[in-house]
Amino acid sequence: MKTKYINWLIYAVLMVVVVTWLGWGKPNKIIGMFFVSGLAVGSLYALGGIGLVVLFRATGVLNLANGAAGAAGVMTAWQLGQWGVWAPLTWAACILVALLISLFYGRMIAPLLAWREPVVKAVATLGFALIILGLVSFLWIDDPRSISLPTDKIGIKLLGLRVTATRMIVFLSTIGLVIAIYLFLGQTKIGLNMRSLANDRDLSALIGIPILKVETIAWGLSGLIAGFTGLMFGDLIRLEPTVITFMVIPSIAAAICGRLDNLMVVLVGGLSMGVIESLLTLSPGLKGARPIAPFVIASLVLLWSQRGTQLTFGGRD
Amino acid sequence: MKKLNIMLSATVGFVGVAMAGQAAAAPSCGSNTGEAATGEPIIVGGIHGNAAPGDFSASTDAAAAYFSCVNDNGGINGRPIDYRVENDQWNPELASQAAAKLVDDAGAVALVGNGSFMEMAVNAGTYAKANVMVMASACAISECFESSNIVSTNQGPLPSNLGATQYAQEELGATNVACIGLNIPNNGPWSCQPSIDLMKARGGDGSMALLNPGAPDVNSALLESIANGADTILMNLPAGLAIAVLKAAEEQDLRDSYNWIAPTPLYDLSVPEALGEYWDGKVWVNAELAPFHLNGADAQNWLAVMDSYANPNDPRDTFAQSGYLSARFFTDTMLAMDPAEVGDRAKVTDAIKSIKGLTSDLMCGPYYVGDSDFHMPNHAGYMLQMVGGGFKVVRDCYEFDSAYFEPHIALEKKLGLR
Amino acid sequence: MLPKLFHITPSGAAGLLFAVFAFFVVPTLAGSLWLNVFTSMGCFTLATAGVAFMYARLGMVSLTQVGLMGVGGWVMLRLNHGFALPFEVNMVIAGFATMVLGWVLALPALRLRGLYLALVTLMAAGGLEIILSTFQFPNGGSGFWGVQTGSGAAFRRPALAQSPEAYLRYVVAMVTSGFLFIELHRRLAPGRAWALIRRSEAAAMAAGVNVTFYKAWAFGISGLLAGGAGALLAGSLGLLDGGTFRASESVMLFALAVVGGARFWLGAVIAAALFRVLPALLNNWGVDADLSFVIFGAGLLHAVIAAPNGIAGQIMELFAGLIQKLSNKLGLVASIVIEGSADD
Repeated sequence: MKTKYINWLIYAVLMVVVVTWLGWGKPNKIIGMFFVSGLAVGSLYALGGIGLVVLFRATGVLNLANGAAGAAGVMTAWQLGQWGVWAPLTWAACILVALLISLFYGRMIAPLLAWREPVVKAVATLGFALIILGLVSFLWIDDPRSISLPTDKIGIKLLGLRVTATRMIVFLSTIGLVIAIYLFLGQTKIGLNMRSLANDRDLSALIGIPILKVETIAWGLSGLIAGFTGLMFGDLIRLEPTVITFMVIPSIAAAICGRLDNLMVVLVGGLSMGVIESLLTLSPGLKGARPIAPFVIASLVLLWSQRGTQLTFGGRD
Repeated sequence: MKKLNIMLSATVGFVGVAMAGQAAAAPSCGSNTGEAATGEPIIVGGIHGNAAPGDFSASTDAAAAYFSCVNDNGGINGRPIDYRVENDQWNPELASQAAAKLVDDAGAVALVGNGSFMEMAVNAGTYAKANVMVMASACAISECFESSNIVSTNQGPLPSNLGATQYAQEELGATNVACIGLNIPNNGPWSCQPSIDLMKARGGDGSMALLNPGAPDVNSALLESIANGADTILMNLPAGLAIAVLKAAEEQDLRDSYNWIAPTPLYDLSVPEALGEYWDGKVWVNAELAPFHLNGADAQNWLAVMDSYANPNDPRDTFAQSGYLSARFFTDTMLAMDPAEVGDRAKVTDAIKSIKGLTSDLMCGPYYVGDSDFHMPNHAGYMLQMVGGGFKVVRDCYEFDSAYFEPHIALEKKLGLR
Repeated sequence: MLPKLFHITPSGAAGLLFAVFAFFVVPTLAGSLWLNVFTSMGCFTLATAGVAFMYARLGMVSLTQVGLMGVGGWVMLRLNHGFALPFEVNMVIAGFATMVLGWVLALPALRLRGLYLALVTLMAAGGLEIILSTFQFPNGGSGFWGVQTGSGAAFRRPALAQSPEAYLRYVVAMVTSGFLFIELHRRLAPGRAWALIRRSEAAAMAAGVNVTFYKAWAFGISGLLAGGAGALLAGSLGLLDGGTFRASESVMLFALAVVGGARFWLGAVIAAALFRVLPALLNNWGVDADLSFVIFGAGLLHAVIAAPNGIAGQIMELFAGLIQKLSNKLGLVASIVIEGSADD
């Protein structure tokens, strides 16, 4: 318990040091602009990371095809929009497509690998991601596209930066999602089942937990998150299938901060990565390579978390 | 660049109006005999890059259409052109393979219509060693304009940026330009610097915000430009990324606080639609070839060739015009040669290097090659304003003011073109 | 022990025969284009050998092999333009520098279970893609990064291999020595440690094997081969571009190593052929190159679920079957062949 507080304290001190160092001598307004912009990007990293962790805890599968599912969803939404479909329907279609892709994999392919090592399961999802990415790039050839939501037009001034409702939605829904999942896991029967599955799969099966049902719900949940993330990414950052597919890599960085387990840390990690990445723009020497910030942070967290530990074989990593 | 349908319908719409009454205009190609060429084929190569993140095949498509037309009209003194096109897929290995295949294995006498971000950097040495000329059409990197055996019909980003910056400084009151470019040394920094120098020379200031091609966050680049104190944002980017920058700006409602200018890539009839009404009348774009609606004789012939010989969904854009022009200049040069020498690479190279003073209503100045280590015949352009879902010319053909062009102007004087 | 060290298995014999064929015959038959294609394929075979060996022998998944090739290529170009050392010296330095960097990148995961190594290497691939596309490859400019705009400076190929034919031979020789290098390790102490770790990490530890050390050793060999492969690729083109070393390429190379058959030398050759030749062929046939993603992805799923030995495994089985039939007819015993081919 004590180390936990020490870790949080170290984190807070480090964040302050980094933000002060990067922002030294710059007007507050500029720092504020980069900070707010970084929070939005960080929210997307965190959202992606949460989608990964929720599924991994319940099923033992780290689904690297999440980004691809989101890309397929948001491209569908764009296409429907081009055909003049009512906008809210296109958003629903985006989330539905990602949900169906996720459920398809979860019900049809994942069971074939149920008893393999976690790394093999993760590698298989990479194959699935390549298939989706190939099909999506084949269907929608490279072209400048954009998708916008009505919330892009609404905004408030915050720290000198106009923050659109879309960014607020992303930020607040990321936090809301963490709280909702926390309550869901703690207060509902299915949540209890999920925790038990995360704890010990074999024992859970023995005591009669409906594994198939719980897993299906987890796949569905991660599909919903993937669809939402894809839609927001397409709106806020760039509507391009390859970029959205490989968005899963910084999401992994956020997930690793929480050791693929702790959603709270995934959230804080993702947000910090976004902010630091954004603030690095202020450093003349480092700004070119700023997108590697999430990877460096995740690696440092991983090294810090295993200091002094011995390689043992008690747990299930 | 494959803005297929939107692009096509828009362009054809324009032409439909402009060419009413002469709808069945027959294309004019080569020696225009109306007889198919049957002699021994002359091999000509072309390399384009088509893969994520961009499709540069428009120029070779148009060149292929023109060569088909030439072959139906007597070819080169009765000898048809065997035009072979390779795709480098934005991959340096494939680019080198494509050149090996065309130049070494097939023995092409020249390469025409090349369009790529990659190919010229990898192959410039190969071309010089093999003494083969490349009449490229869609160039974006320094090697394309600063090597001995490549000459391009299009301008590339450097002059186009300069044109946009110069216009903004003279007409829009720009004093500090931030150039948002790709962090590729022979593209972004290379093409941004002269515009910044121009601003400094005229008492203003400028800065660069470089975007990592793999990094998706255009918002940071935009914020960086603002943090640098810019009043004018120059989007030196492919159309998709430039649209992303403008969207990020729209989100923060920055439209009226800055001037928004861009080089040629944003001149694409699908862009106004992608940007929406918010940006109407607020974006200025430099065009390196004649805008579509001017519709001179060569522009009409280009469309006639495309309609008769190209795939209906091949794009009709600036790069297609450029591909057509390279193919036409090449054909004219071949027709002027001694018929016995057109299959001889060394002689063809000499003939191309001595091209001077070819003209077209698609280009502002004359086209020439010359025997030098740099080539940039096209360095004047038009300035357009994006308005009413299309583009309108706000400044006709004008030359750009930069020390970069001093050697080019000296060469033009030597060739008697000034 | 020594006779065992130099014992040649039937699969190994086939591999050596193939190398001899590739060395003597292929360069004389291929045109300029195919010389180019085979040279590039050779470089990727060497890199695939590293990643396949780690997966097959230790179950370690590295998703950053192509990124590490980029590092090797970068060091090679940097040395080539910065100093007047011969190609071979540069290549060795490039290989070892990549090995060390590979260790640094994998450090956070080497003490953890397999999944973390896959994730950390995927992040490393993402990071290397950004670094290489941001700072570019040296082309004769000044300063540490050595990048200049305009045309790059000339590249010095090895003295032994100035022509494209000779360079292909050079690459074939290097790839063959890479395979022999791995095989040598497998037959000495590290090989025994790896075999034990593959069975059970706990058992290996109990038996006194330093698990982390031997895993790092394997990762180092893989990095060394990737660095050498990158250096050879740089030599073939004279320059490199960040586009070759994207994270997606690393993922694809791993996928193909599994599809080709990670346990066999033939698997690495097949993987490199698919990686370099299939997209070009699809392109020639007028099929969208994006569909190669679909084929590779489906191949990976299939291989992971149903065909752990990949295409090479099936070919080897086929051959073993043929030889068995043949030898039955001749009245010979072919069990050695089958046993050998199933394990190499």
